[in-house]
Amino acid sequence: MSEALAAALTALGDDELVLGHRHSEWTGYAPHLEEDVAFSSIAQDEIGHATAYFTLLAKVIGSDPDRIALGRDKGGYRHAILCERPNHEWAYTLARHWLYDTADEIRLESLEQCSDEELAALTRKIRREERYHLLHADSWMKRVARGPVEGRTKLMDAIGGILPEAMGIFEEIELEETAVKEGLWPTPSSELRQRFLDHTGSKLDELGLPTEIHAHATERAEFVASSSGDLIAEAGADAGQEPSPDELGGRRGRHTADFDQLWEDMTGQYRAHPGATW
Amino acid sequence: MDVYEVFRRHGHKEPFEHCGAVIAPDPEMALLMAKECFLRRREASHLWVTRRADIHSFQDESLLEIASDKSYRFAEAYRDVVTKRERARARAQEIAS
Repeated sequence: MSEALAAALTALGDDELVLGHRHSEWTGYAPHLEEDVAFSSIAQDEIGHATAYFTLLAKVIGSDPDRIALGRDKGGYRHAILCERPNHEWAYTLARHWLYDTADEIRLESLEQCSDEELAALTRKIRREERYHLLHADSWMKRVARGPVEGRTKLMDAIGGILPEAMGIFEEIELEETAVKEGLWPTPSSELRQRFLDHTGSKLDELGLPTEIHAHATERAEFVASSSGDLIAEAGADAGQEPSPDELGGRRGRHTADFDQLWEDMTGQYRAHPGATW
Repeated sequence: MDVYEVFRRHGHKEPFEHCGAVIAPDPEMALLMAKECFLRRREASHLWVTRRADIHSFQDESLLEIASDKSYRFAEAYRDVVTKRERARARAQEIAS
């Protein structure tokens, strides 16, 4: 069994599972009926992707997908902290949806070259759906960015607040060095993060949001160019207990109080009825 | 001249169905042409025309393909619920007696 492959699958599956769960909380509450159906469908897709990753993982570690998804302790999850945050309002959800699916596209593009045949094939399959998710997110972003000032302001606030945590999607996975060496994780996370920043930066330019984003980002963290040309987030003076992106720790099993509640909801049934199937 | 797509339906409970296209200079003429081309033999009692240019589709229709397992969206995936319910009922009776 490859521990590095298991680590990669855990990170990928947990992101999709936890964000899918958050997305599903919009069912019945989204801004209008059509979007309610669309967003619920996207939530189901994400859970479906988690199922696919966990089915592979189950073969690697000798478990079953349900037990992996719902039978772990809180500290066993390796998703990025961004995925566990509550939905707040639609602007936050949209900004997270856009940033996450942009990040996921960049990650999946690389994973198509994965040395594990099964994961590479699964990636190609999942990427076809994720392309649609990104189209959905992009379409909303365009309209809100060009729309009335209230929505635009909310969106800018949300992106400014989320961007530092979005870096956590590209925290190193466990055993990353081995995974990269074995071609299981074809592109190091730091390089993926740089691609994400470049891509997001130019997209925000296109949307006409960059200046405001910078202003809002500086309230929490300042994005400055490092000596290597990387954009890194530096904790601002008022950042207080906000962790810096390098210390977020989702990929190492460190989570916030937001995840405690989500974990209770998500796994409650599974824990109350051990061994039940449905 | 524009191409107009033609839709017709039988009664109020039926859906409109696409039945063909006509070439016409405006919607009024398109309706007349459509009536003659597609409703000659009482095929339907309602008629729509719309400019083909006003119809939108995805440029890349591979987006419509379903990539991963969607069995949970089909009723067949829940067929075993019936037997499970029967089993649960039997077990409940067993416990009660």
